[in-house]
Amino acid sequence: MPVGPFGIDPFVWAPLRLVIAVGLALFLVLNGALLQIYLERKIQAIIQDRLGPYHVGPFGLLQTFADALKLISKEDVRAKATDGWFFVAAPALVFCPMLASWVVLPFAQDIVGANLNIGLLYLTTLGSMTVLGIVIAGWASNNKYALVGGLRSAGQLISYEIPQILALVSVVLVVGSLSMLDITRSQAGPFVNVLILPFSFVIYFIAALAETNRTPFDLPEAESELVAGWLTEYSGMRWGTMLALSEYGNVTVVCAIVTTLWFGGWQGPGVEAIPLLGVLWFTLKVYAFILVMMWIRATLPRLRIDQLMSFCWKGLIPMALVNIAVVAILALAFPTTKIPIAIASWVLLVIFVTGIPIVQRQRLRTLRARARAAAAPAVRAAS
Amino acid sequence: MTFDFVEPVVFALLSIGVIAGGVAVVMLNRITAAALLMAFTFLCMAGMFVLLGAETIAAFQVLIYVGAITVLILYGVMFTKFGDRPRALFFQRQTPLAAVFVAAVAIPVAIVALSFTSASPRPGGGDLIALATSVFTDFAFPFEIASVLLLAAMVGAIVLTKRDDPEEAALRRRR
Repeated sequence: MPVGPFGIDPFVWAPLRLVIAVGLALFLVLNGALLQIYLERKIQAIIQDRLGPYHVGPFGLLQTFADALKLISKEDVRAKATDGWFFVAAPALVFCPMLASWVVLPFAQDIVGANLNIGLLYLTTLGSMTVLGIVIAGWASNNKYALVGGLRSAGQLISYEIPQILALVSVVLVVGSLSMLDITRSQAGPFVNVLILPFSFVIYFIAALAETNRTPFDLPEAESELVAGWLTEYSGMRWGTMLALSEYGNVTVVCAIVTTLWFGGWQGPGVEAIPLLGVLWFTLKVYAFILVMMWIRATLPRLRIDQLMSFCWKGLIPMALVNIAVVAILALAFPTTKIPIAIASWVLLVIFVTGIPIVQRQRLRTLRARARAAAAPAVRAAS
Repeated sequence: MTFDFVEPVVFALLSIGVIAGGVAVVMLNRITAAALLMAFTFLCMAGMFVLLGAETIAAFQVLIYVGAITVLILYGVMFTKFGDRPRALFFQRQTPLAAVFVAAVAIPVAIVALSFTSASPRPGGGDLIALATSVFTDFAFPFEIASVLLLAAMVGAIVLTKRDDPEEAALRRRR
C-alpha cells in the first residue's frame, strides 16, 4: 500500500487535502474580516480622536464577534419583487472568486495552496469575475439605486482593472515569471522590487484601492447619491458576505499581491533558519498595507464618479502604458542589469507625483474660465 | 487504487455542464438567466482547457469571456427596453427542423469520437512560454492586425454613439 504525506493513504490524502485547504482559507477569511473590521474602527477612531469600540470585551476586542453573531441571527429579508435565484446567487458570485484566489497566495516557502505557473494571471482572472456578481446583484435587487450603483461599480472595476494589470505586467517583464513563488524568490536580499519598480507599485496600489472599493473610491457607499449602491436591498448575512467578507478578503488578497510582487513576500531576517518565520513576515507585511489603506480611508474624501473615471482613463492608464513601454525597452536594452529600469521608474514616479497638482491647477483654471464665460451674458443682461 | 477515474468523471461533468448550459441559453425565456448560463458554459469550457493541460488558455477564457463579454452582454440587456412579452426566440416553432440539423452534425461526430482509441494528446504543463513565443514571433503580424481591427471597431463605436454636448455647442456658437 502506498503511503502519502503523514503516513496517510494518498487515496484519502487527496480529498482530505482539499478539505483542509478550503477550511483553512475560510477560517483565514472569516477571522481576517473580523480582525480587519475591528482594526478599521479602532484606527479611524484614533485618527479622528475618538475612542472607538470599547464596551464589549477588553479594548472592545469582542465587538466584531458580537456584530457577526447579530448578522448571522438576523432575519433573511427578501423583497417580493427581487429576481429569485439571482438575488441569492449574487453574494456567492462575489465571494467565491475571492476565496478561490487564496489558492496561490504564498504564505511561506512551502506553504502555498498551488504553485501555478500562471499564478498572477489566475489572480487577475478571478478579480475580473467579481464584476459579474456585482452586476447581477444590482439587477436582481429590482431597485433603481441598486441598478445604477451596480452599473457604476462594474464600470469602476472594469476601468481600474486595466492599470492594475498593466502595472503587474511591468513586474512580470522584470522578473520573467508569472508564478508567485518565483517572483518572491527573485527578490532575495534587501533589493526588493519596489526599489526597481516604484512607479508600477504606486499605480497598482491606487488601482487596487479602486478595485476593492476602498476610500477614496468607495462609490457604492456614497449614501448621499445611491443609498448603498448595489448593496441596497441586501441585509443580514447576505450583506455580511458581500460587504464584510468579500471586501476584506479582497483587501487581503490585493495586499498579499503587493507584498509578493514588490516587497519580497515571505522573505525577511531569519527565514533561512526557520522557514515558518516566513508566515509571520508575510502576515506583517500584508497587514502593514492594510493599515495604510485604513489610514487613507480616514484621511481622504471620496471622489465623484466623473472624477474617478477621468482619473483612471486620462491619468492612470496613459501613465501605466508609458511605464510598461519604458520598462520593456530598458529590459531589452540592458538584459544584465536592472539599474536603468530603476532610475527610469523613479523619474517617472517623480513626474507623476509633481504632475498631478500642475494638471489639476490647469484644469481648474479652464473650468473657472468656462464658468465665467457662461455667466457673462447673464451678468450683462442683468446690468 | 489510483485516481485515474477522476479525469473522465470531471470531463463528463464538464461536458454535461457545457451542453446543458448551451441548450439552456437557447431555450430559456429570461434573457438575464441566459446570459448568466452563458457565463457558466464558458466556465465549464475553461475547465476543459485545464483538463487538457492548457491553463493559460483557461485563464484567458475566464478573463475575457466571463469577466468581460458576459458583463458586456448584461450591460446590453440592462440598457434595452423590456416589454411584457417573454423574450423567446422568434423561430422557436422550427424545433423539428433544428433537431434534424443538430442530428446531422452530432451523429457523425459521435461516430468518429467513439471510434477514436489512441491516447489523448497532451501538451506539457507550462505552455505559457511556448504560447508567448509563438504569439510574438510567428504570429506577430496576425496578432497586430487583430489588435488594429479591434481598435478600428472601438473608434467606430465611439463615433457612432457620440452625441455633441448641447451646452458645449451653445458655448461654441456664442464665441
